[in-house]
Amino acid sequence: MLCSHDPVKQCNVSLWTRVMSGFLDGIRCGDCECNVDWGERRNAIASIAAGVLFFTGWWIIIDAAVKYPTEGEFHHAYHTCGVIATVAFLMINAVSNGQVRGDSYSEGCLGQTGARVWLFIGFMLAFGSLIASMWILFGGFVVPQKPAVYPGIAIFFQNAFIFFGLGLQVWAHRGSLAMCNLCSLLHCSYTIKSILVKISLRML
Amino acid sequence: MAGIKALVGLSFSGAIGLTFLLLGCALEQYGVYWPLFVLIFYVLSPIPTFISRRLSDDDSSSNACRELAYFLTTGIVVSSFGLPIVLARNSTIQWGACGLVMTGNAVIFLTILGFFVIFGGGDEFSWEQW
Repeated sequence: MLCSHDPVKQCNVSLWTRVMSGFLDGIRCGDCECNVDWGERRNAIASIAAGVLFFTGWWIIIDAAVKYPTEGEFHHAYHTCGVIATVAFLMINAVSNGQVRGDSYSEGCLGQTGARVWLFIGFMLAFGSLIASMWILFGGFVVPQKPAVYPGIAIFFQNAFIFFGLGLQVWAHRGSLAMCNLCSLLHCSYTIKSILVKISLRML
Repeated sequence: MAGIKALVGLSFSGAIGLTFLLLGCALEQYGVYWPLFVLIFYVLSPIPTFISRRLSDDDSSSNACRELAYFLTTGIVVSSFGLPIVLARNSTIQWGACGLVMTGNAVIFLTILGFFVIFGGGDEFSWEQW
């Protein structure tokens, strides 16, 4: 549809599409480029802060497990919440920016769509574990009016810290790119398609 | 010649840090040796940074390997502070011992940081400096 046998027209078409696609790249992730300017310092600080939060969360739960070792005071299955949050943390940090954007040199074993699905599942697990920790605190400790509420508070704080550490990591070096791409799955591809259709209709 | 002075200064502060740790264990009113487990964290803490510097130090900006090393190192440091606190809250050691151990932690980690800052992680370390 875009091929034209007229050489002059062909030149115009290719120039036009190149300009348009470059323009779209600028629009689509316009605020992403400014991350790179002061990025290196911020990435290092964000990694350190995320590490502090993550491991503080785990030491809070270790403290609670040591103080209330019996099953009746601290049901051992509640540990699952923190474990799932940790798995989500590792999953989300395992995907590099390039794989989600689709412009990395190596596809990885997942490919671009696979990386997005992986991120989606990771975020779902992270949100789910945060909600589950609140549920455990209120449903397992506050409502039955247990004498020791501290284990429930510890579970909640562990998951909250892990979640905030994750949020910090995502905000620092993946937030704008990953969110940008997760939203642009629908929005920008639609925009590109409509503009290409307009171009093609103009050229014909 | 600054290499020798820095090395002596760093080893002195390392000795001070270990003294604090041992005071927290060996003083008469404490007498329990559980806090010595933080020695494991002291030994582990430079390893992620060493590995990341060895593997890839080409990109000076936003190196994922280096950020992972920072994350793990921070975790090890937090764990070395968390262990005495958990022990003290559980009345295995006393709070005075906990305070001494945490002071020793701080001094030792500042020493290790000083090593990395001054000696550049050993990459351009040459024996001629001696």
